Amino acid sequence: MPIACSAGRNVILITCENIEETGQACNQIELRFAESLAMTADELIVKLKDPDDKVRTEAWFGAGRVGAPAIRPLSALAAEDNLEVARAAKRGLWQIVRHAGRPGAGEELTAVQAELVSLLDGRLPAALLREVLWMLSEIGGEESVQPIARQLTHMQLREDARMALERIPGAGSLAALKAGLAAAPDDFKTNMAQSLRQRGEVVPGIPCVKLVPTRKTNVKRVDG
Amino acid sequence: MSGPDRHPSRRTFLKAAGAAIGFPHIVSSRVLGASGRTGAGNRLTVGVIGVGGMGLVHLKNLLEFRQQGKVNIATVCDADEGRLGKAVRTAGAGVEPYRDYRYILERKDIDAVIIATPDHWHAVQTVHACECGKHVYVEKPASVTIEEGKAMVAAARKHHRAVQVGAQARTAKPAHITCTAIRNGIVGRVTRVTCWHYATPIDNDPVPDCDPPPELDWDLWLGPLRWRPYNPRYCPGTFRWLMESGGGQIRDRGAHQFSTILWCMDADRQTSYTVEAKGTPPSKGLWDCPPEMEVVYTFEDPHWQLVWGQPGDKIGKTEFGNVFWGDRGRLVLEWEGGHKPADEMAVDFKVPAGGVEVARTDEYESLDMNHKADWFKAIREGSKPAVDIEIGHRVATMCNLGNLSYLLGRKLSWDGVKQQVVNDEHANRLLGRPQRHPYHL
Repeated sequence: MPIACSAGRNVILITCENIEETGQACNQIELRFAESLAMTADELIVKLKDPDDKVRTEAWFGAGRVGAPAIRPLSALAAEDNLEVARAAKRGLWQIVRHAGRPGAGEELTAVQAELVSLLDGRLPAALLREVLWMLSEIGGEESVQPIARQLTHMQLREDARMALERIPGAGSLAALKAGLAAAPDDFKTNMAQSLRQRGEVVPGIPCVKLVPTRKTNVKRVDG
Repeated sequence: MSGPDRHPSRRTFLKAAGAAIGFPHIVSSRVLGASGRTGAGNRLTVGVIGVGGMGLVHLKNLLEFRQQGKVNIATVCDADEGRLGKAVRTAGAGVEPYRDYRYILERKDIDAVIIATPDHWHAVQTVHACECGKHVYVEKPASVTIEEGKAMVAAARKHHRAVQVGAQARTAKPAHITCTAIRNGIVGRVTRVTCWHYATPIDNDPVPDCDPPPELDWDLWLGPLRWRPYNPRYCPGTFRWLMESGGGQIRDRGAHQFSTILWCMDADRQTSYTVEAKGTPPSKGLWDCPPEMEVVYTFEDPHWQLVWGQPGDKIGKTEFGNVFWGDRGRLVLEWEGGHKPADEMAVDFKVPAGGVEVARTDEYESLDMNHKADWFKAIREGSKPAVDIEIGHRVATMCNLGNLSYLLGRKLSWDGVKQQVVNDEHANRLLGRPQRHPYHL
């Protein structure tokens, strides 16, 4: 008789000779999975550097419970030249963010958010900082607002910072968007106005340009 | 069946439409004709936005409709100049090419648009088209986020536009035969529907980011998505294997299969359910959708389950399909009920006296042509098309929630009335996604 064993998001169907054997096998799988969850940040980093795709994949997929202590080392690894190692590290970061966002995560969420905010100090490449902004857009609260708002003056990050603020609910992010609009250079005012409109604000004096065509083609029509 | 001879003339339809009570759609004077006169050329004037893949199929359909005197093709549009050049040559003389779809929307002579761009563009372009007074045929899946889907429904209703989603099975014969049989109890009461489907591919040939090819406007292709450097593995076609832009097989093919299943189960009103997804992640590469995946949707009142399986338990003969499990047996539907014939058991089934009859537009053998004929009919009659945007949105919501449950690693309880996940603030924040300026709803 097959029994379904739960290993994180995977369900494994096991069939043995009898119900006892099946149950024991199931227990073993669940125990091993639980052990893998006890992975430390250091162990996670080692596995993510492994040349075997499967080892790396298993590691990042199980990174959620490693939590806040892994964020800084993962961010360093995500900036590495090795394409697949960097990708696995980035995906590990996302797993941590999404695990921390679960209902009732409490202090774990606070710790992950604080680590992410600390990455916005500018030492990471812009591409990775954009990723951090999007992570904060998912789980960030009031504590994230001002660190994100400071990125509105950064040419390479300002659009992602705007979108992150737009997504974070609450009065703090709305106030930051308004302040951002007031301080924005002319070429960024319509962007800021867009976010404020998405948040239900009326923004007079800055027309919405979403329906204004701008891109001309070089392809010619066929004449009859 | 059908063929052009059975297709009533546009003039006949317009007379009938004009006589209808409570004509809710605003049909342009060019279509109806001012002061009771027929419009110029007596045809709908249509533009095609996105002309690769299915976009070319749509264009070829329109050429056939044009030959039958039913439409004018005014424009074609694509962010890829290579594709655009091919399309404009296919469309022939007098068809204007555009890179930017907004040029089409500002043209007053265009009544309707067909949108076959990558999935992340569907909602923005549909909403903009409705706001500019165009009727819309949009490819499936309707949207990539639930907030987008809500905006599409709202725009269609506010501007009284007919918005058809391109899940053609609800106007196709095999799905109709199956739907009629299921609704009339061919296998008794159905409590479980299972799907089987081949895996989402893995990017086994990853390459670094690089400059986009000169013919591609990368910024425009990205549109509402956050900016990132070009990578050849994003497009064309492969956008489907990324969560942001495609969502994998469950959103690509699931949008077809779920639409058919909800139709067969008469479950369009069962909008609340739980969703629990499990999957295996890809072992390498840019694409992030799970190659293998199982998603269980549980509905109540009445109780039944829909199980999406990649690969799932393959019962039928072809690459993917569905099984309806009833208390008196099972019925297989290959694919989604469009391209493959219905099971013989369903074909042979006779509707009992007083049984349920299911309506379907039946004007063309070709499911692509017939689905568009259904849309044209809705435009003319001011009625809702077979896969009205509200249905398309509900189907896309199922696909999107399946992916969300996988990404978050937890079961979600969906309140279809409030359109929110119950007691999960994080999940609710992910029902929408901020969009890049100026490509926004």
